Parts: sequence; structure tokens; C-alpha cells
Amino acid sequence: MEANPIVLDDTAGDVVVVVVEGEHDIYTAPTLRERLDEALDRGGGIVVDLTAATFVDSSVLGALLDARRRALEAGQGFVVCVGETVEPGVQRILDITGLVPVLPVLRQRDEAIEAARANGSGT
Amino acid sequence: MSARPEVLLTMPARPEGVGVVRQALAGMADALDFEAPVLADMKMAVTEACTNVVVHAYDETDGGVLEVEMRATEEGLTIVVRDHGTGIQPRPARSEPAALGLGLPLIAALSDAFELRGSAGAGTEVTMTFAYTRDADPANANPVTGTVGIDGRWDLDAPSPES
Repeated sequence: MEANPIVLDDTAGDVVVVVVEGEHDIYTAPTLRERLDEALDRGGGIVVDLTAATFVDSSVLGALLDARRRALEAGQGFVVCVGETVEPGVQRILDITGLVPVLPVLRQRDEAIEAARANGSGT
Repeated sequence: MSARPEVLLTMPARPEGVGVVRQALAGMADALDFEAPVLADMKMAVTEACTNVVVHAYDETDGGVLEVEMRATEEGLTIVVRDHGTGIQPRPARSEPAALGLGLPLIAALSDAFELRGSAGAGTEVTMTFAYTRDADPANANPVTGTVGIDGRWDLDAPSPES
């Protein structure tokens, strides 16, 4: 039983959702990087859903920013979503680093999937 | 309170220890009735300080010790994160991807007071204090400047996305 799971959800078809739950830091960042690599390899848009995440640190931001850069280079859409009631351990680091417009960060998974579809160059 | 709580944790400086420090900190902060937003800042700042020790303090093969001291004072909770390594240096990591370089700016933004002490070969000590009651958000006094650069590391001098 994994306490802080990171799983891929590809029910949205051309956009794969990386679902991140629980607390994540330097210990789990390598697993997050692996999942993001898998998501990038699918070739479509990527959404990282932090709705059920309770804590993320700068190791996690580093992994997200690397994946975002690679997605943009490959013409794949990349969007993060956090849900409506965001945990302070997630919201705070996004706010003070000014990364909300950069990543970018949206609320709902559905709108994030649409945005990831729209901001990729597609094929 | 006649005896204020004090905790000293000593453990191998490895990634899996950082979450353990957070758990201990949450227990201590709960006993001291800290509000949730301050606890969140504490957990973030202490995580970043411990991560610096894990990533930068020691040679990867030899390893070393991570020490965390938590002391309740009249004003707040003081947390010292200490190593006995070569100091926090932005040297390239070998087996893990390069760090973002946001650790110290985050610690400065999230703590009510912050001090970094160290010298070559004598280890590094980060002391952070979190007040029981805050008059202002410390992130306003010490904002994280800049944004991520093209190389994937944080560039403190880059224009912020909002500006």
C-alpha cells in the first residue's frame, strides 16, 4: 500500500493526467520524475493533478518545471490543477514563487485537460 | 509553562529522513497551538533546510548526519538544522537532477527570523524562528524574487512573472 501515490490516468484519451496524492519531497521526487517521463513519452498533453496532494516542496517544483520545459519543447500541452480547496502546503509555495501563471496552475481537472489540449501544438 | 518542550533529532542525511522531521515538527507545533498556515510555512522551510543537507552537505558515498533541534521559546519555536559536512554549496549533483536553487529564498520568505552560519569544513547551521503570533506575513518582507531560468535553475534576478 503506497502512502503517497503518483499514478497515471489516461481516461481523457489524448491528455494523460498524473495524479499526485499526499506529501511529496526529495524522497518521492525521483518517482514523480519517472511518472512525468512516462506521461511525456505518450506524446500528448499532460495534466498534473495536485488536488489530493497535501505538501509539495521545491524538489517537486523542480520536477514539474523540467517536465513543463520538455513538454513545451515537444509541442505537448502542460497544465497543473489543484482543485477548489487547496492545501496550504501546496498553495503557499505556488503563490510565493509566482509559478501559478508560469506552470500554469488551474483549479479543476476538466478545465486543465481542455487547456492542455489547447496549448499543445498537436499533430 | 514551566518546562518548554525541546527535541533533538539525529539521523542519517538521506531523503527518507526529511518526512520524518516533518512529522516530528507537526507534533511539536500541534502541542504549541500554532495555526495551520504557520505550521505549513514551518514544514516547508524545515523541509528545504533538511533537503539542502541531504543534497549538498556530504559526499554521496560517505554520507553523514542530519541534526534537527526544536526549541520552544517565549516568542516562538526555533528550529536549527545542522550538518557536519562541507557546507551548503550549489555543486552539481551526481545521481539526481540539478536542484532548483530555491531552498534558501524559501526559508527566508517563510520564517519570521532566519540565520545561516557555516564555514568551510565545519558544517552548516540554519536557524529559523516561527513566532506564535504574526504581525505580518514574512513573505512580504523577504519575497522570493525571480523565476525559473532557461537552464531549469531558479534565477533570482529574472523579472517575476507578475511584473
